[in-house]
Amino acid sequence: MTALARRSPAGVAGVVVLAVLAVVAVLSYLGLLPYDPVAQHPPSRFLGPSGAHLFGTDQFGRDVFSRVAAGVGNSALVAVVAVAFATVVGTLGGLVAGFYRGVADNAIGGVTNVLFAFPPLLLALSLASVLARGWFTVAVAIAIVYVPIFIRVTRGPVLSLREIEYVRAAVATGQSRFQIMVRHVLPNIASIVVIQVALSLSWAVLTEASLSFLGLGTPPPAPSLGSMIFEARSLVFVAPWTLIAPGAVVVLLVVGLNLLGDGLRDTLDPRNRGRQ
Amino acid sequence: MRGIVGNRVVRRVASTLGTLFGVAVLVFVMLRAIPGNQITAGLGTEAAGLAPAQLQALERYYGLDQPLITQFFSWLGNLFTGNLGYSARNQQSVLELTLHSLPVTAELAVLSIVLALVIGVPLGTLSASRAGSPRDALGQLVSLAGLSIPSFLLATTLLSVFAASFGFNPNGRGFATLAEDPLLNLQQMVLPALVLGFGIAAPILRTTRAAVLEVRSEDFVRTARAKGVPERRLQVRHVLGNALVPIVTMTGLQFGYLLGGAVVVEQIFSVPGIGRQVLLGIQQKEYAVVQSTVLVIALAFVLVNLLTDAIYRLVDPRVGAS
Amino acid sequence: MPRGWFSVIGVTSVLVIALAGCSSSGSGTGPSAGRTLVVGVTSDPDTLFPWKATQFTAVNVLQNLYGTLTEFDKDLNVVPGLAESWKASDGGRTLTLKLRQGVTFSDGSGFDSDDVKWSLDQIMNPDTAAVARASLSSVKSVTAPDKSTVVLELTGPDAALPANLATINMAMLSTGDTEAKLSTRPNGTGPFTLRSRAASQSITLARNDKWWGADKPKAGALEFRVIPDESSIVAAMQSGNVQLTVLNDPLVARTAQVPGVTVAKTPQLNYHVLQLNARHGDLKDVNVRLAIQCAIDRKQVLDTAALGEGEVVGPITSPAFKSDPARRPCPARDLSKAAEYLGKAGKSGGVTLKTIVSQGEYATSVNEAQNLKAQLAEAKINLDLEVLESGAYVDRWNAADFDAAVALNGGRPDPDGSYGRYFTSQGNFNKVAGYSSPELDKLFADGKATTGQAARKAIYDQVSARLEDDAVWIWLFSGYTYTATTAEVRGFVPMANGSLQYLRATSVG
Repeated sequence: MTALARRSPAGVAGVVVLAVLAVVAVLSYLGLLPYDPVAQHPPSRFLGPSGAHLFGTDQFGRDVFSRVAAGVGNSALVAVVAVAFATVVGTLGGLVAGFYRGVADNAIGGVTNVLFAFPPLLLALSLASVLARGWFTVAVAIAIVYVPIFIRVTRGPVLSLREIEYVRAAVATGQSRFQIMVRHVLPNIASIVVIQVALSLSWAVLTEASLSFLGLGTPPPAPSLGSMIFEARSLVFVAPWTLIAPGAVVVLLVVGLNLLGDGLRDTLDPRNRGRQ
Repeated sequence: MRGIVGNRVVRRVASTLGTLFGVAVLVFVMLRAIPGNQITAGLGTEAAGLAPAQLQALERYYGLDQPLITQFFSWLGNLFTGNLGYSARNQQSVLELTLHSLPVTAELAVLSIVLALVIGVPLGTLSASRAGSPRDALGQLVSLAGLSIPSFLLATTLLSVFAASFGFNPNGRGFATLAEDPLLNLQQMVLPALVLGFGIAAPILRTTRAAVLEVRSEDFVRTARAKGVPERRLQVRHVLGNALVPIVTMTGLQFGYLLGGAVVVEQIFSVPGIGRQVLLGIQQKEYAVVQSTVLVIALAFVLVNLLTDAIYRLVDPRVGAS
Repeated sequence: MPRGWFSVIGVTSVLVIALAGCSSSGSGTGPSAGRTLVVGVTSDPDTLFPWKATQFTAVNVLQNLYGTLTEFDKDLNVVPGLAESWKASDGGRTLTLKLRQGVTFSDGSGFDSDDVKWSLDQIMNPDTAAVARASLSSVKSVTAPDKSTVVLELTGPDAALPANLATINMAMLSTGDTEAKLSTRPNGTGPFTLRSRAASQSITLARNDKWWGADKPKAGALEFRVIPDESSIVAAMQSGNVQLTVLNDPLVARTAQVPGVTVAKTPQLNYHVLQLNARHGDLKDVNVRLAIQCAIDRKQVLDTAALGEGEVVGPITSPAFKSDPARRPCPARDLSKAAEYLGKAGKSGGVTLKTIVSQGEYATSVNEAQNLKAQLAEAKINLDLEVLESGAYVDRWNAADFDAAVALNGGRPDPDGSYGRYFTSQGNFNKVAGYSSPELDKLFADGKATTGQAARKAIYDQVSARLEDDAVWIWLFSGYTYTATTAEVRGFVPMANGSLQYLRATSVG
């Protein structure tokens, strides 16, 4: 953290933005929002922003602030689960492929090639429409699209690590391959994985938003930032705040994650060390 | 030596064919896993009113009464004879459709890449020329915007600004190919290429910046500078020249994605490209159209990657030697 | 009608509209192409074979290419088409049609009674898979005693038959024409003929100077131009590239109201409804259904889901047979009544209903579902919403695999055409309708056997009452169709069934 602060003011800005949004998300998980995000109150439809309703109300009289807050919570949940899944599976795949080579490498490489050659938007859309609807299946669909990226990102460094002296030495001392992978290889690719995680989170948020926007994300009435934009898309004249609030928060969230990712890269990437 | 090269080519071709076969299986399975078929896609809820005999007649008509394995291999077998299938909706063979749509998307992709390079490379070089300075911040800001603004948002905004404020809406007229009416065609391509190009400029800008920073710290640049090579010449010839490898790789990757990933923009701007062909195919559950088109996109993607590799070998002396 | 989630991409282009609303460019400089009328549509026709066409664009293109025995006028009265007159005899068991003379198909061949007999026989043949086959279920045989006469022998009187003959799915084809042939070379008796087609881009029709109508088509040609996005169509109208379009989304229609563009709204026959499956679980009990009937404020659904653009309706939406929405149990929301009904059903603890909703098929579905869920929750009725991509929705709907379904169903000018297929025990949609009764069977049979508008209206009022009193489905509201035209367009008449038939009377420039 201090290293991040020293090296990347932009990264710090990212952390601050994310911290604020994280607080909001936690409040939504704890149910500490000003209003119930799904409760409808038709008499107070389309109220503009005010003290009572910070971001106004929507066509059902729901409080937009509470919905945006809960939407941040949901988007974060989907993104985190998706990226966690992609990280674990992808890194494992990259490790195995790079370290064991041979059949495993060919098999994993084959699957990666196929997934890469498949148009990504189409892949996400097809997966999302094949699987039953729900936040978890959305997360799985996004994860499957990102698994090959993690495989690609980790396999190369693992390949070169394999040839490095101390890993060879470890092999010579008769440690099991699994032990070597966990003790010597994994720590050395950790920084690459961390950077990729931060960047993937921002993609995952955008993808979840796009899928919801296309009607394939988190099912209503549970609020998601993407589906809120989707619902508000045609209300821009009647109640612009219903569109602007979730739109701005999506962009804020993505910008925060990108800034953090950049900051982490500047700080952790070995190629950047000792420069400047 | 020749044997090794030959061997490598054979392996490359084999792995490419393997990838394409994998894509073929994946798209075939996935399409059938998506609920609905050509009958319900065409008739919607009206299909519920069909008598069983009518339903059977329709299944025969669309070839849905065949076992899946037969469907798969007859499609695959036909591919080798150049028969990509037939679109009943368009009353055209998929080959004909693709011959119309692929050049459109390829043109759009080329224009987008050119725009992205025009934005990304100079800004990236400028950013790197003084890391941490205001000009670097500008570059970072542009790339952050490129990464964070969804393309559908940018596309609809541009379309409306130009249509409403300047009465400029060439995409509202019938689409003209480059051969039919180059002037109109270019007008119709400008906005979609701008939207796509802006999105791709971000990774290109970042790659350029990183590569330039990396190259500049290398010994030969310091040596050249010490020798008194003029700064501009140094920047362009030595630094940018050597930073080309990652830029070419990134450009190739993005170009490959563009061939299948311009769907949303093609849709908003009514550009009859290959992405829309897949989209309509999925909507109508025209299996042959989707399967063959996705395979064409995958093939194009793989070929672009091979080409990128070749260029990569050309520009990077180290790779060529090994 | 936009199909599938991809079309959603299109409709979303809010900003187009936002900015378009702020300024206007009048009718731009685009080449108005002489007397070609350009109609903006969101999709290509998915078939050019009239007997299988159900998609909006396909139906409207084909309506200009083909002719039917009867037609609707602008008020949806049945008027002569290719048949100049028809007469029932033998207690309604025989219908004799006199055909118009001198009509030709676009390939030049003459139209006569052999073509009618062949067409009707083909439609009734299951192998043809014609969607209107069930509408001819009362027809026993078709004979052509001479070139200009066709005789339909019926199983019993069928007052709905003349109206059923007016849909484009009953188009008259030339003897021997096949789907494969007509898909590339349409051969109809309509006011236009096919000139050219560019896949997924446009389809252009040329005026048929040999058309039989007294007033020849005014426009020299019709071009249906595909612009996948309703808001992009609006943008194209502002720049003068498109002259006429039909919009479904009330919010897009609102944004089209700028100088140079006129938007007219027409009440639709189509109705928004919460379909119940009265053969499933808790809904078998009429009291549970009545509890739902009483727990819903329909005006609130209309206001929240469609911004009030429409009107609350009963089952029958056709102007001549219209149901009175006030004549239903609980015309106003009554939660205590709802609780009472649930108590009677022994379900005071509440019920849960598996409810399917389509996303992307039409604009308001998900909003309706959300409001219905919120309202019913207050009556301890839990709608378990399953929001489905349209392909999945259609599969589930067709299999009647739901307790409740949020739906937009097509209404027809004749109430028998609308509901006979749903609510008679032999109806081909009865499985999906989830309800039938001997009483309804009899009423529908009477409706077909009765001639005379007033007498039939009385019968369908009873049908309507049965459907509402038993809370068979929960009818909600009907929306509008919005026809947008630029200043140079004259003579177009929008119709409640959404038909663009009056393109033949429309002039441009």
